[in-house]
Amino acid sequence: TVMQVSVINTVDTSHEDMIHDAQMDYYGTRLATCSSDRTVKIFDVRNGGQILVADLRGHEGPVWQVAWAHPMYGNILASCSYDRKVIVWKEENGSWDKMYEYTGHESSMNSVCWGPYDFGLILACGSSDGAISLLTFTGEQQWDVKKISNAHTIGCNAVSWAPAVVPGSLVDQPSGQKPNYVKRFVSGGCDNLVKLWKEEDGQWKEDQKLEAHSDWVRDVGWAPSIGLPTSTIASCSQDGRVFIWTCEDPTGNTWTPKLLHKFVDVVWHVSWSITGNILAVSGGDNKVTLWKESMDGQWACISDVSKGQGAVSSITDTQQSEQ
Amino acid sequence: MKLKEINRTAIQSWSPSQQHPIYLATGTSAQQLDASFSTNACLEIFELDLADTSLDMKSCGTFSSSHRFHKLVWSPHGMDGAGHPNGVLIAGGENGDVILYDPAKIMAGDDDVIITQSDKHTGPVRALDVNPFQANLVASAGNESEIYIWDLNNFGSPMTPGPKTQPLEDISCVAWNRQVQHILASASPSGRASVWDLRKNDLIIKVSDHSNRMHCSGLAWNPEVATQLVLSSEDDRMPVIQMWDLRFATSPLKILENHTRGVLAMDWSLADPELLLSCGKDNRILCWNPNTAEVLYELPTSTQWCFDIKWCPRNPAVLSAAAFDGNIGIYSIMGGSSQAQNQRQADQITNSFGNMDPFGTGQALPPLQMPQAPCPAPPAMVNPLKKPPKWIRRPVGASFAFGGKLVTLDNAPSNPQQPAKHVVHVSQVVTETAFLERSDLLQATLSNGNFVDFCQEKIAAAQDGFERTVWSFLKVNFDSDVRGQYLDLLGYKKEELALKVLKKHLKFKMFDFNLEEEEEEEILLQEVGCTNWCLYLDVDGLITQALLTGDFEGAVDLCILDNRMADSIILAIAGGSELLEKTQKKYFSKTHTKLTKLISAVVMKDWTDILTSCDLANWKEPLAAVMTYARPDEFSAFCDLLGGRLEVSQDAVLQAQASLCYICAGNVEKVVSCWTRAQPTGGDPPAVPPPPLQDLVEKVVVLRRAVEQARRGGAAPTASSVLLEEMMGQYAGLLASQGSLATALAYLSGSTNQVGPARRPEVQPRGLAQGCWRSPPGTGPNYQPFQYPAASLAAPPSPTSLPPAPGFRSQYMQPGPGPSPVYQPLSCSPPYNAPYFPTAPTSSSASSSPTYAPGPLAHGTPFQHGGPGSPVSYMQSPFGGPGTHRLTEINNLWRSVVVGPQNGWNDPPALNRAGTKKKGLENYTPPAPITAPIMGPPGSDPQAQPMSPVSLQGSMDPGQGAFQGPFSGRQQLPPSSGGHPAMPQTSVEGPPGAPTGDHIQPMQSIPAEKILKKPIPEEHVVLKTTFEGVIQKCLAVASDPQTKRKLDDASKRLEALYDKLREQSLSPAIVGGLHNIARSIESRAYTDGLNIHTHIVSSSNFSETSAFMPVLKVVLTQANKLGV
Repeated sequence: TVMQVSVINTVDTSHEDMIHDAQMDYYGTRLATCSSDRTVKIFDVRNGGQILVADLRGHEGPVWQVAWAHPMYGNILASCSYDRKVIVWKEENGSWDKMYEYTGHESSMNSVCWGPYDFGLILACGSSDGAISLLTFTGEQQWDVKKISNAHTIGCNAVSWAPAVVPGSLVDQPSGQKPNYVKRFVSGGCDNLVKLWKEEDGQWKEDQKLEAHSDWVRDVGWAPSIGLPTSTIASCSQDGRVFIWTCEDPTGNTWTPKLLHKFVDVVWHVSWSITGNILAVSGGDNKVTLWKESMDGQWACISDVSKGQGAVSSITDTQQSEQ
Repeated sequence: MKLKEINRTAIQSWSPSQQHPIYLATGTSAQQLDASFSTNACLEIFELDLADTSLDMKSCGTFSSSHRFHKLVWSPHGMDGAGHPNGVLIAGGENGDVILYDPAKIMAGDDDVIITQSDKHTGPVRALDVNPFQANLVASAGNESEIYIWDLNNFGSPMTPGPKTQPLEDISCVAWNRQVQHILASASPSGRASVWDLRKNDLIIKVSDHSNRMHCSGLAWNPEVATQLVLSSEDDRMPVIQMWDLRFATSPLKILENHTRGVLAMDWSLADPELLLSCGKDNRILCWNPNTAEVLYELPTSTQWCFDIKWCPRNPAVLSAAAFDGNIGIYSIMGGSSQAQNQRQADQITNSFGNMDPFGTGQALPPLQMPQAPCPAPPAMVNPLKKPPKWIRRPVGASFAFGGKLVTLDNAPSNPQQPAKHVVHVSQVVTETAFLERSDLLQATLSNGNFVDFCQEKIAAAQDGFERTVWSFLKVNFDSDVRGQYLDLLGYKKEELALKVLKKHLKFKMFDFNLEEEEEEEILLQEVGCTNWCLYLDVDGLITQALLTGDFEGAVDLCILDNRMADSIILAIAGGSELLEKTQKKYFSKTHTKLTKLISAVVMKDWTDILTSCDLANWKEPLAAVMTYARPDEFSAFCDLLGGRLEVSQDAVLQAQASLCYICAGNVEKVVSCWTRAQPTGGDPPAVPPPPLQDLVEKVVVLRRAVEQARRGGAAPTASSVLLEEMMGQYAGLLASQGSLATALAYLSGSTNQVGPARRPEVQPRGLAQGCWRSPPGTGPNYQPFQYPAASLAAPPSPTSLPPAPGFRSQYMQPGPGPSPVYQPLSCSPPYNAPYFPTAPTSSSASSSPTYAPGPLAHGTPFQHGGPGSPVSYMQSPFGGPGTHRLTEINNLWRSVVVGPQNGWNDPPALNRAGTKKKGLENYTPPAPITAPIMGPPGSDPQAQPMSPVSLQGSMDPGQGAFQGPFSGRQQLPPSSGGHPAMPQTSVEGPPGAPTGDHIQPMQSIPAEKILKKPIPEEHVVLKTTFEGVIQKCLAVASDPQTKRKLDDASKRLEALYDKLREQSLSPAIVGGLHNIARSIESRAYTDGLNIHTHIVSSSNFSETSAFMPVLKVVLTQANKLGV
């Protein structure tokens, strides 16, 4: 595959310490960044620009992740920090303010992820105290909190929602009928496990426990639905391995791991392209690689990305077979 | 937070970081006895299973030892090879033994777990350390200044780091440098530390503060700075940790003071050099940042001293601490609280009662619940480390964003000398370069309209015959003689055919030379005559009688009885169309030749039968017939019908051909479904990979454009274009994912603009007001995605789009230039009016009559490019794909904010739909039952020409009332031209009786303007000039192509208005309003114009104004925007 990765904008964030996350909003017009300098910044990056829109201060520790809510709920950004807090920021009349501050955990908040907009405004957050919270906006500044204790012993590192799919049916619902979505998300933690969670009767239950990693699971990413009945999850770990988990079983019970690659260093982050066919893998050696599944189901590295610039991949297929 | 607990008084060692799962080895501690005074010793291995939430550690193996242990270390030696899969466990015994165990064997329950051992040390072996660079090198130390370096590969002969230090003393700790592999440090309770260089085999530096109070209990090298080490003091008078830098070894660099009694053990985290653990006789476990001497964390621990503490090498947040109370605790440094811990206490209390049946109730006691209320002991709120450990500080990250963007963190300094610059790169990821190139080419073709070349290239590049055929069929749409070309492609060359017919005819002529002067009937018979050829004109008396009395029906019956078919038909013609039809039916029921069916279909115009019953293997023939004969309004349906049969046939080849029929029909949706199915991925329409998808889209777009150009009708009104929309959505999604956003929007534009509103109710969460859907940044507060032109959404067929009744049609007939004195359109009774039109093939009178314009098909919903007929069928997720929704929303956004409620190049031309539809109808005259049989080689021989009704009329008595009706319509014919007044001039290709198909204009259509129209009434001409003037002005200043397209489009669409003006069919109020708008345009008061516009729209009948008012609004808006 001929593949081009070229920098179209480099944003100097002026953060005073390490940046831990950077996320574009839904339309790709704004960039939110967060840093160990305890701040969250929002830049307008349209047309290659970089105008600082907001400098959000409120966290008392390094801010690990930011997540944009679906724009139908307004301009809303969630951030999570080592200070054990999750803050939901909202833009009203051009200025950003705290909409909600959640302090229900005893340790670092490592990951935040908004659910598909079909589910309403719902935020999953994973903590180093091992628990996962689900915060649902119920209106009138009210948030409903559900907590899964001991989701991952000594810490949950990542959460990622499943796309909104009606179980067992890929055809559209009879019109006017509210689809009966099953809410699901995946989490990864310091117990080396990938876990799937499912809401049943308003309660969150562990649905699956996926074991393949031999060290902390650093990140998980549920691939966007591309209309196929297959569900796909990527997980990456301190052990350098990236697994692609697939489930073709409509009941969602049988998940098969496939080793994408074993890297030498820790793999911190995985991110699916919006169309779900490319996976960006960020490793501890400051390398970003892009992976694509070929027609025969094999994953191949299609590009090495350094400082935003793509290069021909140095990862060969032979390395890939090692388990 | 306490994770696990082991009830042992033991020293411990974690398995090396390479080892998975994580084990903890414990060895019975020397010099400590528990209350049993047991001197038994054992070595145990436990597994740390964090998935198990209980406090218990799973024991994996036990080995009873004769030794008790001072020190235990675990080397990864042998793990990479087959030697020792779990490494080697090295123990320092109380009797001077250094013992090597194989933990794999311990766990397997083997007996021979000892690999080897040595009793070289003279006293207890108190210190051991594994070289971090070479796992086979282990340093040990004991009494009498003894330090040995053991090579596990050659265990028998240990080395010494250098001469023994003097005076001889006990050595409590050894540690390998973490940066330089041949540097070793040792320390003794005396307070002195020594640094050895193994290469020099000598002591290189001594470290001591000369206070005599530093009783070294611990020694650790800085994991990152080679010259730094820490020493801990056991002395209660000096419970400190000293940090030394060998570059300045005269006094400690820092002193870590917080313990209140002597420090018993230390461990420096390898995962984060800013974390140093220490435990002391003050029962505390502290975690320091040794660089700042700050205590970052204090573990909530037991009330007993901890004498040993270890970081877990593999799980950096985990540590173990061994206490004198006989417990080894496993803790997490990350805070949090464990429910398991509370449960454990409850269990223990319960267990202490044996959980038996103390009260003799016959029931076991339930587990004892820890008191919760009224004062629930809050799980000791444990703060995490003050500083986040290094291992959770993610330094890298690349995340995808909409439109194929990749956002990458860059925390690394661009140059090592400079401080790190924290930047974020936004990159465009393009995976489908070839795809984008093809998409660009398609876009270019769409804008320059050069479809013929495009198709030609495709034909040239086609990989297989079928592909070539498909493109050939598509190309035909842009040729001038569409049906003719289709026939060509089907293998029916018209010219050849005409030639053959001519030859045959000449033959007839020669044969029947003597008949040339005979009555026209005979000539007509010749036309029919291919088979039913009649030479004699033997008029029976009866027939004569009947004729003479005007009893046509009787005469016809007689002829039929006498098997004089030709006569009967001739007479039936004279007897009126009803009789003719009857006679035709009788004829076909009586006659059975090979050709009957075809002739029947041709004459009766009932193709359905042939199409539904023909042998599919010969599918080309019926298609060719339809090409030739079908009326434009049936044509598509017939092609569809045939396509449908092919599609469901079992033969894959025939199935593929179905798409050709659909191309002819202009049925984009069906074509798409055919092709989609033909894709190798069949069955998974959403997953068409890019190249085939591009193939598909190219074809579809070309066909769609062809259909659009031709204003030809498409699918039946109800046919959903789910698949098409889905495919376009997918295509747009793919384009967007490759960063080609604008193009993607163009494909989506219009087609899905109802998605927003349609989805909104579903996605409306509880408690969120409608207004919550806010505008994205920069789009301004006016974002109202759902304000789409009501008219365009309200496109379902309006009354005007219904096919008018025949009588109604005649109102639209316009007289040709040649005055037609008897023109009385409204007086024609429909049945007669209609039948006679075709006899004057209207294409021949294109210059004189507008009746035959190639309008869109009359039926249903003409296909529109993503028009409003289709969005309703837009299917939401899952097929839309994630990119598509977003595109749709962005699309809405653009449209509402940037574009306004207007029309892009492929926006729905919704508003003039009704207009065009009607135009099509008004211009089309359906063929009558065939009155003049086929196969005349027109023009070749005047004598052979079909009988013209006019001349027939001449032979009849015009005064006879019975004949008056049938012929009245005929008077609309143009005046005679030369000797053969009604002779069809252009019917070279086809017989006059069947000309409807033949005369369908090429799909390129004669522009409406070319058809003569009434002039716009003089008083309204100003409207046209004003509106066109302002459009021209706008065009002159408009810079972007989109606006230009829009204006061009508007200009065209205003024809609908001009038509209405010509027809004078607008109410005075509207016309007045239009004049007001024109005046406001003249004075450049566009806002006023828009207000008037609003007023007109709100006060007028929708169907009356919908064809042009929205267009006018576009013009006004643009003019206002451009400030012309």
